[in-house]
Amino acid sequence: MGITSEQHSSASSIDSSSDPCAAAATSSSSFCPPIQGNNSARIDLSTDLRLGLSISSSYYNDLFPTPTTTTRVQPLSWPPIRSILRSAHLDKALDHKQSSLFIKIYMEGIPIGRKLNLFAQDGYDSLITTIAHMFPTTILCPGADRVHSDKYHVLTYEDKEGDWMMVGDVPWEMFLNNVKRLKITRADRC
Amino acid sequence: MMNYFPDEVLEHVFDFVTSHRDRNAVSLVCKLWYRVERFSRQRVFIGNCYAISPERLIARFPGVKALTLKGKPHFADFNLVPQDWGGYVQPWIEALARSRIGLEELRLKRMVVSDESLDVLSRSFTNFKSLVLVSCEGFTTDGLAAIAANCRFLRELDLQENEIEEKKNHWLGCFPDSCTSLVSLNFACLKEINLAALERLVARNPNLKSLKLNRAVPIEALQRILMRAPQLVDLGTGSFVLDRDSDDSETYRKLKATIQKCRSIRNLSGFLEVAPRCLPAVYPICLNLTYLNLSYAAGIHGSELIKLIRFCGKLQRLWILDCIGDKGLEVVASTCKDLQELRVFPSDPFGAGHAAVTETGLVAISSGCPKLNSLLYFCQQMTNAALIAVAKNCTNFIRFRLCILDPAKPDPVTMQPLDEGFGAIVQSSKRIRRLSLSGLLTDRVFLYIGMYAEQLEMLSIAFAGDSDKGMLYVLNGCKKLRKLEIRDSPFGDMALLRDVGKYETMRSLWMSSCDVTLGGCKTLAKKMPRLNVEIINENDQMEFAHEDSQKVEKMYLYRTLVGPRKDAPEFVWTLV
Repeated sequence: MGITSEQHSSASSIDSSSDPCAAAATSSSSFCPPIQGNNSARIDLSTDLRLGLSISSSYYNDLFPTPTTTTRVQPLSWPPIRSILRSAHLDKALDHKQSSLFIKIYMEGIPIGRKLNLFAQDGYDSLITTIAHMFPTTILCPGADRVHSDKYHVLTYEDKEGDWMMVGDVPWEMFLNNVKRLKITRADRC
Repeated sequence: MMNYFPDEVLEHVFDFVTSHRDRNAVSLVCKLWYRVERFSRQRVFIGNCYAISPERLIARFPGVKALTLKGKPHFADFNLVPQDWGGYVQPWIEALARSRIGLEELRLKRMVVSDESLDVLSRSFTNFKSLVLVSCEGFTTDGLAAIAANCRFLRELDLQENEIEEKKNHWLGCFPDSCTSLVSLNFACLKEINLAALERLVARNPNLKSLKLNRAVPIEALQRILMRAPQLVDLGTGSFVLDRDSDDSETYRKLKATIQKCRSIRNLSGFLEVAPRCLPAVYPICLNLTYLNLSYAAGIHGSELIKLIRFCGKLQRLWILDCIGDKGLEVVASTCKDLQELRVFPSDPFGAGHAAVTETGLVAISSGCPKLNSLLYFCQQMTNAALIAVAKNCTNFIRFRLCILDPAKPDPVTMQPLDEGFGAIVQSSKRIRRLSLSGLLTDRVFLYIGMYAEQLEMLSIAFAGDSDKGMLYVLNGCKKLRKLEIRDSPFGDMALLRDVGKYETMRSLWMSSCDVTLGGCKTLAKKMPRLNVEIINENDQMEFAHEDSQKVEKMYLYRTLVGPRKDAPEFVWTLV
């Protein structure tokens, strides 16, 4: 499920042993386990501000949604709705034109990414066309002759298993079910 | 005077005292009353399974027959609590089984239940009658098979929104032929079911009043089941679609005729899968309904929902998706004059902001349904003017939970925070017990809550407030506060530590992504030995030096009589 799994990627829980007796020595004051404290997202933002990088509004919105944002960007675990209700609706959403599946898309060499609504696309052709408007490059269509050049890019995606795959090999619906995020990589790297 | 009565008389009087709180109050009057009350208590409610131990429960209430236990904090529902945090029922069941307790009813919420627990449960209590599991996990249908097979007098098996691993074991078939005592059966959260076993089970249980099916029960089977069980009061349909290819007019006609005979149905839910053209089959019973839950019925357009609602004049509780729209809510307002509870869920929680329901719908409801006392409303936006109007129209709110989907969104008309709106709600509904806030909010809203919400017991805060003052207004003002849960708000150590004694008057406090530091939490833990102050740290970083000044990502503290729990996983640190 696009948005949900993606937003949880930074808060993966530790698989602790199921043995209840293996509880850490939490009550011992001599052992002071480390705490990261702030989540890494906050630290990244402050680092970037210190370095004086200009942050585009879309990047900032990923971390701290503001009322002025036009695209819906949600913080982690928001809205407060039970996951059972969510998955019931997302199953239905795959049938509906008005629902959305926003995923991140980065282009190699550009640190600031964009977000793209996959449900608003009809298929691979529509996807490529939309991306062409968002990023300054030519995306080679799947199946086109691969030109090994740094002027051209191809579209890849990360699937549920964490593998990076070429976009276009599987049927569109199957792609929607499996895609977590997109990356535009240089054609000469494939 | 009461001291001159023999114990049996006291006991008889106490029999009429049924609510937990009243019985707790009775037990505090004097040692005699404490003694009589504890031996006669049959129903015990434990809101936090880590506040007390099973041994102490058994020692104090040897006659307990019905037990309710709750485990994980509420925010676990929204994935804020990691897997394996805790909340295991196993030690409770083992202890109860070892003792001579004649357990008959067990109700668990947000707990981890294993197949082994269910097996021990099913074998240890001969008169076991009722098992209700809400938002639990950790078990499979093998555990359900044990319950079905071994609990000879089972009346109720109610599985609400649990995560259950389904094995290919046809657990439903494990109910013996001699099982004829079922009154309530709910397996809506399962994906599969053995249809033949289900139909046979329904046929031999004539006392069945509540039946909630799952997605795997097709509409044809529903029709056959309803033929056998026209006495149902509570029905959850499974799949409510007609196969496009089959000749469905006959099936539809039969279904409608059968439903028409079910004159006792007052509560209707399910529709886990529904085709709009099938919905009219339920029109005949709509006029009897007092509870209608269509919150899983994605794919029904507002216009169809409206047609259905027009038949439901006696509705008291309605759970619906926001695709009903503001117009649909206006229809609800003009049709359902007895409405007490309304829940509007988002059909598109991550969507791009299609205005499904707004403040207009809520104002319409409040205007048409003055008996409204319980609200859960997910919407795109809200205005102060609307909330003030709602507060004027409805002064009986007990539960008021508003979730504006865009966090920290101001009043779109005035661009002001929603302090005044929520302030109006708490000022006019003097008996409000539960409140969830959203939208742009400053410390001012907490000032209002502290001043007016005298009966408030549970408060949920997200992306709100400016400073520690906000949290302090609440802690100082809300004398009856029991549960406080806060995320992403700028409250820190100063607020946390100002009145440490307060937390012993409450069940629990949750704070995540706030400004409390490790040092602050340590100080609190040191001062208050009867609190468990737990830090949840999910980051697998071994190299960080711990610093007291580091902000704590997630803190959960609760009062307890039994000290730090021994089953905490590695990522939960209990401070002392």
